[in-house]
Amino acid sequence: MSIQILLMELVLMPLVAFVVGLFLVLMLRRIGAKLQRRVGPPMMQPLYDIVKLYGKKTQISHGWMHDIGIIMAVGGYVAAETLLPVPGMDGIADKGGLVTLVYVMMIPSLGLALGVGQCANPNGSIGIARALTAMLAYDVPFVIVVFGVAWYFGTTNLVDIIAIQQAGGVAGWGATAMPLLAIAGLFALQGMLGKQPFEIYIAPAEIATGPMVEMSGKYLGGLFVMQCFQLYTAGVLYVSLFLGGGENWLFFLLKVFVVVAIPMTVAFLFPRYKTEQMIRLMWKWPVMIGLLGLAFVMH
Amino acid sequence: MTPLDELLLFSGLTLVLMLLLGRFSYAGKIATVFYAGQLLFLAKMADRIIDGSIVTFSLQVELFGLQMSWRFDALSWFFAVITLGAGLLSSWYASGEWGERFRRQGGNLWLLHVALAANVFSMLILLGSGDLLALFIGWELVSWASFLLMTVAGGRAIQAAMRYITYAMSGAMAILAGIVLLWSHAGGLQYGQIIDVIAQLSQAQVWLLVALFGSGFAVKMGLLPFHLWQAPAYAETPGPGAAFFGAISARMGLYAIILVLVQLIGLARLSELTIPFTFLDMRDLWAWIAVLTIILPTYTALRQTDARYLLAWHGIGQGGYMLLGVVLGDALGSAGGLLHVFNYATNQAVLFFAVFAVMFRTGTADLNKLGGLITRMPISFFAMLVGIIGLAGLPPMNGFVSKWFVYRSLMIEGEPLLFLGAIIGTLGTILSVYKLIHNTFLGQLRVEHVEVREAPWSMVAPMIILMLLIFATGVAPGLVLDWVALVQSAVGLPVVENTLGGVELTSGSLDMLWVVGVLFAGFGIGALLFYSGGRTRQVHQLDNYAGGHFLTAETRYHYSDNFYAGLMHLIRPWYRGSFVWLESTLGSLLGIAASLMQRLYGALHPSIYLLVTVVVTLTWVLL
Repeated sequence: MSIQILLMELVLMPLVAFVVGLFLVLMLRRIGAKLQRRVGPPMMQPLYDIVKLYGKKTQISHGWMHDIGIIMAVGGYVAAETLLPVPGMDGIADKGGLVTLVYVMMIPSLGLALGVGQCANPNGSIGIARALTAMLAYDVPFVIVVFGVAWYFGTTNLVDIIAIQQAGGVAGWGATAMPLLAIAGLFALQGMLGKQPFEIYIAPAEIATGPMVEMSGKYLGGLFVMQCFQLYTAGVLYVSLFLGGGENWLFFLLKVFVVVAIPMTVAFLFPRYKTEQMIRLMWKWPVMIGLLGLAFVMH
Repeated sequence: MTPLDELLLFSGLTLVLMLLLGRFSYAGKIATVFYAGQLLFLAKMADRIIDGSIVTFSLQVELFGLQMSWRFDALSWFFAVITLGAGLLSSWYASGEWGERFRRQGGNLWLLHVALAANVFSMLILLGSGDLLALFIGWELVSWASFLLMTVAGGRAIQAAMRYITYAMSGAMAILAGIVLLWSHAGGLQYGQIIDVIAQLSQAQVWLLVALFGSGFAVKMGLLPFHLWQAPAYAETPGPGAAFFGAISARMGLYAIILVLVQLIGLARLSELTIPFTFLDMRDLWAWIAVLTIILPTYTALRQTDARYLLAWHGIGQGGYMLLGVVLGDALGSAGGLLHVFNYATNQAVLFFAVFAVMFRTGTADLNKLGGLITRMPISFFAMLVGIIGLAGLPPMNGFVSKWFVYRSLMIEGEPLLFLGAIIGTLGTILSVYKLIHNTFLGQLRVEHVEVREAPWSMVAPMIILMLLIFATGVAPGLVLDWVALVQSAVGLPVVENTLGGVELTSGSLDMLWVVGVLFAGFGIGALLFYSGGRTRQVHQLDNYAGGHFLTAETRYHYSDNFYAGLMHLIRPWYRGSFVWLESTLGSLLGIAASLMQRLYGALHPSIYLLVTVVVTLTWVLL
């Protein structure tokens, strides 16, 4: 692959991710509206929101780490998208692989955590403490899933993982071969997206949206952009591991939207768990299902 | 003169100089220059090490008819580089205002310099040991030198040091027993002889050997269940000493483990030793000890409220990754384990430097009494940030690469539970180090710290060097992996074929040059987006509100106590303190035995001792 094409891919992949992410946010809000018998926002609303937030007159900075935190939160995901193959574009997926992707996906959280930390608002710090605890909760089943998938396909190279699945058709999909791991993965996905019932770290009525409490204007706008990327990344990762990746853009996007729709629907139907309830739940059911699935995969 | 002669002589000279000049204010600067000189002599050896040849020491000593010799191979060289690097930067840190302050406050700067030089010198002797007797003598020297450095602070440090030396002596007895066992079979203690004789020993004998040597070396490494001494002993040592200990001291245990278990006994032999009543073998046991050493101390670190103790507990945990990698024994895993020795040393040193810089300015390392120092000490903040990213093993810092190697090896070898354990340790580390940086540098600035300034340059400069090193070896891990490959071939492990950016494998490669490049390009885009938005207005650091109320600086609201309350609700009952209980039980039992002996001794008439002695002697003579 020539360097020009690679560079073009590196530019295009985050861009596509952002656009798809905007529509995922739209879908999230539309699902919420449907369930609550509302009309829901118009198609361009997520974009309008971002533009509005970036253009706000009042933009309060609590110091340079606050700024850099937001830059890291967005930038980390921009980088993560280039490790995530999509139809026709592999980017640098073969130079990082699954484990690297998982760790690069922690950079935005770290940036956010540091940024919130400098705001010196106890609600923000409590939110971060809870978010990190949540990460400890859902990452345990998540890494079991990652291990199982890598073991089954014999590689951590996402390009190969997708190629192997596509060679076998639907029967070759990760979800067909490893149904238990796919279920455990869905649990982890729910936690990773930080949606109900696992959004104790935002808890608006209790800690005033936690990490977002000191975020005004473009700071909140940055987090909005981060959410677009986050929904996209989680959806595409799940599709790449279990649903054969994308044969073409049509099927690919269909799968991604379906996958992201599942946690969104669940989210609007459930109340919120306390932190220790979340940990207990995450360390019990998905871990048990995941380990069982792993046992099947490895024998 | 061989390069090793020069190195050891120069190192000895450094020690002598410190003995003579240690109490003068310029001693730190002299020491720094001399450690740099030792590094140069080490660099002079590099081409021979790269050739794969062994650098010998001209002096050979005969003791009780046993030849003692010293030599440097790639393994010794690799550990020596880290030792001298840590010594150099630690003494640099101590050379300026820190040392001045320490002395003014009544600290014994002479002892600190002497102990540091003695540590470096004894470690070089240990690393150079060419047979088991030299190894044992080096081991003892290192133990006593460490003890010396631990006692510098006095008070609680003395207690911690006494605890250490108790553990160290018990460990040394085990090692001595192992050496005697080998000597009785081989009649000598040269490595060559030992390898031959171990091949002929029965499984039970090798079992005993592994247990004796293993537990002895595990003490120094702080492996479970011999880890309790380490955190207090390291944390209570004054700044540069703690950084030096944290960076390298415990790794002497790993050096010895690699030497005896990998080089002399061989990992293949370990796999043959089954553990009765289980389906595990000796190698699995070591791997599980490594993983437990990762998890338990890391989660103990999570509960610490003193930054020094937090770091010291993490030091124990990180040792587990190194051992795990080495015990896995494949090219990837052992490269990861060895690479982590280097990476972790840089991370831990910079973290201790940052914590002690904060202590230098504020007088405390208590996480409940700090906060908001980012604006006052930005470079120290940045140093800690780089350090925690490395310690937690996130890209783009070097700690990520070594852990990636270990993870990938576990995945390829098909060890899901060990893998899970290693990741749980990493997640705990992330939580814990965020608490560290949050409670020190982020959050509310305390009124009494408003006037605090950045640490002086003599302390900041070593931090900057380490930051650059951590980042550079994260982007281009190949620089260190080249050395690691030499070590692997020297000790007979499969050799990793690395690239500058990482490693190329058919089952998933790593190229940090690209990953970091893209990461920073991403940050660039993030920055473009950010600065294209509306103009920001910076508010004063003390201008805050919560729950609708404006908060003045007098109101303390920095959230640091019981930071992970939700997690602790669930896992607090799991902290049983079993090892502390075990230790105190052993201590009490020993006390009871001692008092019983005393009673016996006092109760009996001297003539009965005479009678007993005569009877025993007669029996021995007659039989």
